Amino acid sequence: MAPFVVRRLAGMIAVLFAISVIVFLIFNVIPNSDPAQRMAGKNATPQLIANITEEWGFDEPLPEQYLKTMELIFTGELVSYSSRLDVDEEIRKGLPATASLCIGAAVIWMFFGILFGYLSAMRAGRLTDRVLTALALAGISMPVFLLASVFLYYLTFRVELFPSSGYVPLTENPLDWAYHLILPWTTLAVLFVGFYSRVLRSNMLEAMNEDYVRTARAKGLDERRVMTRHVLRNSLIPIVTLFGLDFAAVIGGGAIITESIFSLGGVGQYAADSISNLDLPPIMAVTLFGAFFVVLFNTVVDIVYAYLDPRIRLEGGRQ
Amino acid sequence: MSKQPADGPKTSGISTESARRPALLEVRGLRVEFATEGGAVQAVDGVSFELGAGEVLAIVGESGSGKSVTAQTILGLTRSHNATIEGSVRLRGQELVDASEAELQKVRGGEVAMVFQDPMTSLNPVYRVGHQIVEAIRAHRRMSDAEARALAIEMLGAVEIPDSERRVDNYPHEFSGGMRQRAMIAMALALEPTVLIADEPTTALDVTIQAQILALLARLNRERNLATILITHDLGVVAEVADRILVMHEGRIVERGSLDEIFYAPKDSYTRRLLGAVVRLDQPPPPKPTSTTGDGPIPSNISTESARRPALLEVRGLVKRFPVRGGLFQRTRGETTAVDEVSLTVARGETLGLVGESGSGKSTLCRAILGLIEPDSGSIRFEGREIAGLPQRRMRPIRGDIQMVFQDPYSSLNPRKRVGQIVGASLRSQDSLADGPKTSGIPTVSARRREGEAPRRQVGELLERVGLSAAHYDRYPHELSGGQRQRVGIARALAVEPRLIVADEPVSALDVTIRAQILDLLAELQDDFDLSYVFVAHDIGVVRHVSDRIAVMHEGKIVEEGPTGGVCERPSHPYTRSLLDAVPIPDPREARARRAIRS
Amino acid sequence: MTSRGPAGGRGPPRIALRRLRSNRPALAALGLFVAIVVFVLAAPLWAREVAETGPNATHTVEKIEVDGERRDVVTPDGTPIGPVWLGAGGKFFLGADGRLGRDEMVRLMYGGRTSLLIGITAALLTTVLAVVLGLVAGYYRGWRDSVISRSLDVIWAFPVVLLGIALGTALAVGGLELGPISISSGSIWIPILIIGFVYTPYMARPIRGEVLALREREFVEAAVARGAGPLGVMFGELLPNLWSTIIVFFTLAVANNMLLEAALSFLGAGVQPPSSSWGTMVSSGFELIYSAPLLAIAPGVLILLTVLALNVFGDGLRDALDPRSKVRLQFEAHTGTYEPEEEVA
Repeated sequence: MAPFVVRRLAGMIAVLFAISVIVFLIFNVIPNSDPAQRMAGKNATPQLIANITEEWGFDEPLPEQYLKTMELIFTGELVSYSSRLDVDEEIRKGLPATASLCIGAAVIWMFFGILFGYLSAMRAGRLTDRVLTALALAGISMPVFLLASVFLYYLTFRVELFPSSGYVPLTENPLDWAYHLILPWTTLAVLFVGFYSRVLRSNMLEAMNEDYVRTARAKGLDERRVMTRHVLRNSLIPIVTLFGLDFAAVIGGGAIITESIFSLGGVGQYAADSISNLDLPPIMAVTLFGAFFVVLFNTVVDIVYAYLDPRIRLEGGRQ
Repeated sequence: MSKQPADGPKTSGISTESARRPALLEVRGLRVEFATEGGAVQAVDGVSFELGAGEVLAIVGESGSGKSVTAQTILGLTRSHNATIEGSVRLRGQELVDASEAELQKVRGGEVAMVFQDPMTSLNPVYRVGHQIVEAIRAHRRMSDAEARALAIEMLGAVEIPDSERRVDNYPHEFSGGMRQRAMIAMALALEPTVLIADEPTTALDVTIQAQILALLARLNRERNLATILITHDLGVVAEVADRILVMHEGRIVERGSLDEIFYAPKDSYTRRLLGAVVRLDQPPPPKPTSTTGDGPIPSNISTESARRPALLEVRGLVKRFPVRGGLFQRTRGETTAVDEVSLTVARGETLGLVGESGSGKSTLCRAILGLIEPDSGSIRFEGREIAGLPQRRMRPIRGDIQMVFQDPYSSLNPRKRVGQIVGASLRSQDSLADGPKTSGIPTVSARRREGEAPRRQVGELLERVGLSAAHYDRYPHELSGGQRQRVGIARALAVEPRLIVADEPVSALDVTIRAQILDLLAELQDDFDLSYVFVAHDIGVVRHVSDRIAVMHEGKIVEEGPTGGVCERPSHPYTRSLLDAVPIPDPREARARRAIRS
Repeated sequence: MTSRGPAGGRGPPRIALRRLRSNRPALAALGLFVAIVVFVLAAPLWAREVAETGPNATHTVEKIEVDGERRDVVTPDGTPIGPVWLGAGGKFFLGADGRLGRDEMVRLMYGGRTSLLIGITAALLTTVLAVVLGLVAGYYRGWRDSVISRSLDVIWAFPVVLLGIALGTALAVGGLELGPISISSGSIWIPILIIGFVYTPYMARPIRGEVLALREREFVEAAVARGAGPLGVMFGELLPNLWSTIIVFFTLAVANNMLLEAALSFLGAGVQPPSSSWGTMVSSGFELIYSAPLLAIAPGVLILLTVLALNVFGDGLRDALDPRSKVRLQFEAHTGTYEPEEEVA
């Protein structure tokens, strides 16, 4: 187990390095405009541009530029020139909202995704299944902003059922916290519920035809036990992997639109605002940290998973 | 295990003999129909039989005969919304066909237990073996976890799994194939059922393991008076353990009787065909047809004949190792030697049989000869030319001389291409491969080719030569049966006019009756086109039937080699002896005699 | 199963088509998609004949006649006229799009062309890249596979939206110049390239997986044994078996690409002004979400319908091309066989 962990971590570091290089290339190398001007954003004075050129090393060879850029980002000295705010600071401020949104949505989508997927598989071909499948398809086809705009208009304006914006910290008022998050949670979860229920349904239908399920029935186990202990259990394994990827991706940046529409003031909204201003430093930082988080999170998940899966834990299964 | 003598000629009705014993299981007029995309399929069409206490009933049939469906229907495992089940299945008077799921669940495992063909996929990979046995036990009996676990350990011991205290906590993938099947049997027996249904329990196992499992089943039947239904396509297996036999074909029972009746006095034509197709190890193989060189029939135990003929293929000291990849990320943990200093020779016009079980390295050896795998060291000489380790470009001329027939008729043909395209591609490649006019081989085809005849006609001729019709040109592989697909594979190999064909288990995946046809075809072709074969199989009986010389392969090494008769009648290596011993003999008297000698 | 007569030849494509024809939801979905394509293709026609205006023409201070009444296209306080339907002969069918007073219906049609064009072209790009990379990585293995797989993994590590945003904003200012390729920042090719590139790992990895499985099949060995070279095997033996996967993935890729384009354009990192797509229309419509909700919702609904149609059709395609239907599986599971009758020659 230990050598596996070490190798996995080493691989992770390699990927993280590659990501940083790519972010560097995207922002500093590939575009066809003056990098200092790009970074300066709006309100760029010649003096500012000169300062930036010096600070970021744009007149130096690429490897030095890379090092300087990384230094800026990781020492928390990255600044947005148009808003004059410290990027790190802003990101940190936005984390609680983003985390609340994503974790809450994740709980919802996993619960309903698994429930609907299970029901669909159990009643495959019948009305329940058809209805759930149709809903799932609609869910995965729905653009986030459509659902959000419909919610905003009908549930916060026409009928003032929910607040239309704002984030209340959990520590301040849990009820209010949840109240403000219900619409965003639902918006974000709908897409994933559809996806996960379909994946689970498909896995379960496949598992139902496996030989070991036939054996379980032949042993005289009752149908419920066969379905939960054998079919569902084995079908959930790929779902767990998928969840790891999606959750990391959502926190890493997938929730941008939801945050901005509901004005939750999280990291995503910070990124969205920066986009409209074409303010590059924040976007750069968010991209880098977002990707980092995905890789870190998935490495941890992989290691935990390897520990749990008997086939891998026992070193690949000796005969 | 003495059996009561037959009461005289048996008709196809229910045997009066079993009427004397109370029938444990009575099946009457069973019909099972499936609604599928291609229409309704009548899998079981009016099957009736009885099973007495303590007896071993064998149901024999080829694929599609309905034997498995019958067995699974007994336990209600075929129930689904697209299956129509009619008839009656009575277990000690209790009707099972229309029983409720709850009632059936009590019967399953508790009174009638079932063991399936593939132990690898029949156990859930994420639960420990002990857990799965305990699960079965506790579904039927009130027992504490500890008591159930103790019983599970006891059962693992009863099926001769060593170190059962420790192994009860292992996962299925930590067991070998034979062990897994034993574990399945242990799980089936844990609740002391009165009937055991074994659906092709040894088909997926090596010959030597198969013999052990059969012996185990026979012992369990004796010791526990366990009535057993044994389902198989292998008549040899049947002769060793069965009391009575049912022969099934296309959903019906075509003949039934005692062991001796079926083997020595079969009445139905299908039964006779089945018996005739079984290759017998203990009888000398039929004399081979006259070869084109006019040497007369070649006795199977003369080696001087082949010593005179020039060697076509010479393998010397061939070695191939593979890295063993550990766990998740391809780190090389060590090496396994698949082919370990192998040397052999094949002469013009002769057949070398290569016998080996799974893991022996025979497949690797085949692929090395074909140039599909590069050996680590050693030499392969074809017609005097060294071909081992040649870069692919230099191998191209050789491609026209050595070809391969593959084992799996389902995976050896590209499902997206028509038969004509598959064979035609080989035919076309011959143009770029040939060094010039061939001196031997298939004179008629290449002569016409030089005249510029349409490829379709040539492919058509090739297809007919292998027993298909020219019209099969347009068919896709999925529209052909296994035997037909194998014929296409042979046509494909012949298209380039090779001198040597390496046949890697060419008949193992086919039904018994079809096997015989393909073997005959191969013999004919060898004769007509002066081909040499390397014939690889795990079944020494089949190999013996077709080979002039035999080489026995075990764990990467050739442990014995020599003329067929000599090796089979006077084996010198213990592994060869164990192989020969393990082969089930499709002859009840012989089987009994052999058992008497052993005990 | 009865075997076909000698005049056989029902290949996988024919069988799939037959299955598809009997799948009514899938056909309905295809019909919906076609209808939407017709809708956007009809844009110039509608603009010229019915609305008599263009997608960018502003009508801030005009009045039109609706059911006999004269009304402002945009009221003095900035409220645009709502859906007029056929009241003005088709002009401003769905109303005006905000302070600029542009014809919303015309904009929807033209915007749709952009969205569909980007979605389809990006999907084509992704498909070509994914197939080539997947084939090379899966067939050759070795160092080629390592390089390709590692690179795909790194791209795949980025959340799709973030990567799209990063590329979109970085390239929005000055455009792209990479060796011989030079694209200006307003060009529609920027979002096409970005989206096509970003989705490549999601298709390339599964294709590589399939290639890895396929190359172990014996017919591949047989092809090598008759002298086929790497290209011959990849394109002659492997590719024909990949078409099912490729077609289904392509359909789903168009759907996903359209969603991504909409998200990016909504945020401002996708299609740049003066071009517009459904995504940008939602974004501009959001300003008036409470007074004229239709402006933000209509383009979103169109995206939903298009993507839904593609997903349902894609599902139907998958069922048709992959013959592992549930019923057949049950049969196979019970008997362990699926064979035409043996013809004893």
